[in-house]
Amino acid sequence: MHLLRNLTRRKVRTTLTILGITIGIWALVVFGSMANKINSLVEGGSSYFGDKIIVTDASDGVFGNAPMSLSVARGIDQVQGVAVAVPQIQLLLSTEGRGLSFDIPDQLQGQLAGADQGRETFVLRYTRGRGLAPEDEGRNVVVLGADLARDAGASVGGTFQVRDRPFEIVGILEPTLTAPDTTAYVPLRAAQEIFAESLPPIFRADLDTTDLASQVVVYPEQGADIAAVAARIETQVPNAATLTGAEFDTLVGSTTAIFNAIIVGVALISLVVGGLSVINTMAMAVAERTREIGIKRAIGGPRRRIIRELVTEAGLIGLIGGLLGLILGAVVIVLANEAGRESGTVLFELTPETAFFAVVFSTGLGMLAGLAPAWNAARLDPVTALRYE
Amino acid sequence: MSSPPPLLLEGRNLRKTYRLGRGNIVKALRGVEVEIAAGEMVAIMGPSGSGKSTLMHILGLLHGPDQDGGPPPELRVAGQDVTRLSDGARTRMRARQMGFVFQSFNLIPTLSALENVALAPDYAGASSVAAQAAGLDALELVGLADRARHRPAELSGGEQQRVAIARSLVNRPALVLADEPTGNLDTDRSTEILGLLRRFNREQGQTFVLVTHDPEVAAACDRIVRMRDGLISPALEPPALEPAAAAPRSAARESPSVPRSAEPARTPAPLRSD
Repeated sequence: MHLLRNLTRRKVRTTLTILGITIGIWALVVFGSMANKINSLVEGGSSYFGDKIIVTDASDGVFGNAPMSLSVARGIDQVQGVAVAVPQIQLLLSTEGRGLSFDIPDQLQGQLAGADQGRETFVLRYTRGRGLAPEDEGRNVVVLGADLARDAGASVGGTFQVRDRPFEIVGILEPTLTAPDTTAYVPLRAAQEIFAESLPPIFRADLDTTDLASQVVVYPEQGADIAAVAARIETQVPNAATLTGAEFDTLVGSTTAIFNAIIVGVALISLVVGGLSVINTMAMAVAERTREIGIKRAIGGPRRRIIRELVTEAGLIGLIGGLLGLILGAVVIVLANEAGRESGTVLFELTPETAFFAVVFSTGLGMLAGLAPAWNAARLDPVTALRYE
Repeated sequence: MSSPPPLLLEGRNLRKTYRLGRGNIVKALRGVEVEIAAGEMVAIMGPSGSGKSTLMHILGLLHGPDQDGGPPPELRVAGQDVTRLSDGARTRMRARQMGFVFQSFNLIPTLSALENVALAPDYAGASSVAAQAAGLDALELVGLADRARHRPAELSGGEQQRVAIARSLVNRPALVLADEPTGNLDTDRSTEILGLLRRFNREQGQTFVLVTHDPEVAAACDRIVRMRDGLISPALEPPALEPAAAAPRSAARESPSVPRSAEPARTPAPLRSD
């Protein structure tokens, strides 16, 4: 109670200081949530890649879009250490460009159901309907990722257009916070047709559509040295380029690390400024209350009590600022995500950890900032402090 | 010298020099020797700069005496040597065994009268419930129980000083030190405050040391210590006041030195060292 009364003694000053912390924590929450989203995309990718090796055609430098023959997959099957090689078609869902985005663009993926022989460890769950089955080959059916389904307002039994072809929706996935959310899964045969159509006419002329793949997902044998298997594939299979989970991590990890550093750095700078204003506020409060501190010391108030009171007061400033910053940040994030949802761009992810860290951090920052003024106050000579006007 | 009352305060070779910047040295105390008996009410008088406040600060353990510049100082409170106590130990002793009253009341403006008084038992280690109860009792003693919830700004000067007195007495300290306790009050309020101090001295047997300019305040005390230029004037004779002028003159005042004629109504509050 006494502490709250002390906070309200200089309402304008306290409010401005709290506002400083609020802005800092707001920045930390918003930018931190942005970093969370990016990290969860990357982590999702990383766990999706996991122990897999993705093999693409090396003749075209573009990852995942040059056609390769199914026979390549059969060739990979023979490489030592490979358990299963699953040919896939991975395409952009739409041929229209969607501008620059942090999001993974919507994907179309075609694969023979069950071809992985149960080796896939990234588990997909269905909110509605079912997954694709081997019997679906030859039919135009689709399983939609959570974001795709929501954006299209799709439901099981309805129709989903893929490049002007109608597909019957048989299942909708639970959100995974990564690639599958924006992927439409179709049977291999359907994907092959779409892929073939997208190729330049010169290619198409002497092409067996049923022999088409864009990449091969390789599941190594248990305990196999993944890097060694990947190296063997590259040497033994002509025109094969490989990407392992570890390579993915280093490839994307270094980019996101820099991005995270920038984001968190910006937020921390604003918090340093906020922290300095807490120091200033507490130093002024101590100067104004010099006499009171003298009284307290004279009548037997221990130094520790004086320090504790002032540090708690500063911590309270941090706590209030932190909570306000968190609330404001959460509002901005919810609004921005709602606005971005229509265009399929969900930029922020506010995790409980970020929220907790923001509030604990701001409280700690306040207390830390209050420490030096409190220490000075406790060291005041009571007699001098009593004479202070 | 047959069984004199126990000494509550004993000081010897008390010196204090303040260095206020280059070459500006103030010798506030130049080697003072003082003895104050338990249950006494003593006035310290003297002109400005005579060292009386400094002496009070040293007796109240707010400052330590200088160790250098002469024979080693000695200060005993209830027989305990306090010359070299740590700051923490002196703070504890102030909290538990001493009470302070200041000229400008010195209440915490954001705290109610009750909270101000309860601060003292709180610092002395009482639980908050016990501190509140003790605070209310003390306010009752000074006749301010009905104003317990008021902030200092809502109280008159005299009332504020009564709150301060309640705060100084709430822990039943052996020693109450008052620096010009009536300095900011008009005559009626002064008399009232003085009456209160005198009453507590009689009824609770507390020892009072009052620093004052006011001859009437001094006259109400058992004994006057006169100071000049950082020393105690050798003669501790009773104040040269006409009997008529020293209105609330106490019977004990005429006794020239330490012993008092009348035993206090209650024995002094025992010193606690826990």
